[in-house]
Amino acid sequence: MKINEVPQDDVPDYSQGIKKGNYALDDQGKYVMVPSKGWVIDEQINKMAYDEYQDKVEETRKAVLAGQKSPLAYYMELRQMIPKFLGKTAGIATFRVKRHLRPEIFSKLNDSVLDKYAKALAITREDLKIVPQNSYER
Amino acid sequence: MTTSVTTETLTNGRTYTHRTAAHCETGVTSALFFDKGFNLSEPMIFGIGSGIFFGHLPFIKWTGLPITTFRAMPGLVFKKTAKRLGAKVYRKRFHSPQKGMDELRRVIRTGQIAAVTTNVYWLSFFPRRYRFNFSGHNFIVLYENENGFRISDPALLEYITDCSAYDMERARFARGPMEARGLMYYPTYVNPNPDIRKACITGMMDTCNQMLKIPIPLFGIKGMRLVARKIIKWPEKLGYVEACRQLAHILRFQEEMGTGGAGFRYMFAAFLQEASELFGSKELNNLSNEMTAIGDTWREFAVVSSRIIKQRKSKREETFEKAGGLMLICAGREEQLFKDLRDAVEKLKS
Repeated sequence: MKINEVPQDDVPDYSQGIKKGNYALDDQGKYVMVPSKGWVIDEQINKMAYDEYQDKVEETRKAVLAGQKSPLAYYMELRQMIPKFLGKTAGIATFRVKRHLRPEIFSKLNDSVLDKYAKALAITREDLKIVPQNSYER
Repeated sequence: MTTSVTTETLTNGRTYTHRTAAHCETGVTSALFFDKGFNLSEPMIFGIGSGIFFGHLPFIKWTGLPITTFRAMPGLVFKKTAKRLGAKVYRKRFHSPQKGMDELRRVIRTGQIAAVTTNVYWLSFFPRRYRFNFSGHNFIVLYENENGFRISDPALLEYITDCSAYDMERARFARGPMEARGLMYYPTYVNPNPDIRKACITGMMDTCNQMLKIPIPLFGIKGMRLVARKIIKWPEKLGYVEACRQLAHILRFQEEMGTGGAGFRYMFAAFLQEASELFGSKELNNLSNEMTAIGDTWREFAVVSSRIIKQRKSKREETFEKAGGLMLICAGREEQLFKDLRDAVEKLKS
């Protein structure tokens, strides 16, 4: 890759002004570091994954409002966790975490368990009991 | 090979120089050594530490999909580089977040800078769309201030920034696949006159072995071929949409995480170029040119794959074969390159 081949695409929403270093050849055939503004391909791949994540969060939010899942499921998705790692973070066994994703069981949880989850998910105990009415902003 | 330089005064009055880099771990290692008064460029660190690798790990899932890595395990490059340059290092993981944070504070209070491995999701100075649950980002902690910590992230930022103590603890001790468990490291002693030639030879030989000799078909050139063949079969086996998703996942590892596949190839080519000057070897320079060409092929693979993904609704199936084919070409050319490199390095010894 030569210096003028280093992608300099405008993807402000993705890179937010951050430039990534790339090694490229200069005119003398020597490698130098060239900052790159961004590459549409990076952006496209990232968008795909990011959208997938956002869709999953949104889907879970609707399921919670419909009473199919507990709010814990929503915040777990929001923090990009799965029951196994949420359990490890909160210090609760995975099978219990999975049970707590059911609304009828979640509603009976006592405060000490809720606090563990709230701490693990970096939200307050009150927030943990509800999900936002409107979709998470993109 | 720096593009921008910022300086910062540390707690004990020393000056730290922030230099941007292309990849987090090599950049961090280069900065840590530079701080000890030993200047070595990022590509040299990458070569000596044998950073180039390929691995397909179907049993470790990340966002539900297997990991395909183009780099060595996070933390290994530093370890190997230090060993090969005769440096002594401090390198520790912690069970208790509290202990880990206390230890970090204790170390930076003495004026010693320390590198930490973190999970990107919890770093709020990262752009929103970069923040995925991935534990393998390295940066340097300089000192503690009223906002938390002053940090230098050579791979991502062109300036020095702050990171809150909460972010730092969450990021260092996040649970997940390949968790960092608060890994922190720094060299305690750096040999001022190491045998760089010998270190380069060891690094290159190790790289060749990593790519050619691991007897498990998931790693090195064999792994590349396996993945390439998988890609060709995906549309039939998984359906078109799922195949696109898997392909996008590989691309994310290739291009987004760190510098990825092609970026690493260019960095290795830069290393070979520097090494060829060091040894005065024309062979290494030729290999550097070949590596550059391979890097270009990897980029082409990325471009072709991204086109497949873009048009996933219109179904033009022949292109999956093209993408897999390009990867097979990369594998073939790299195999030849590492074999040639091995021969070239053997000659250097005598």
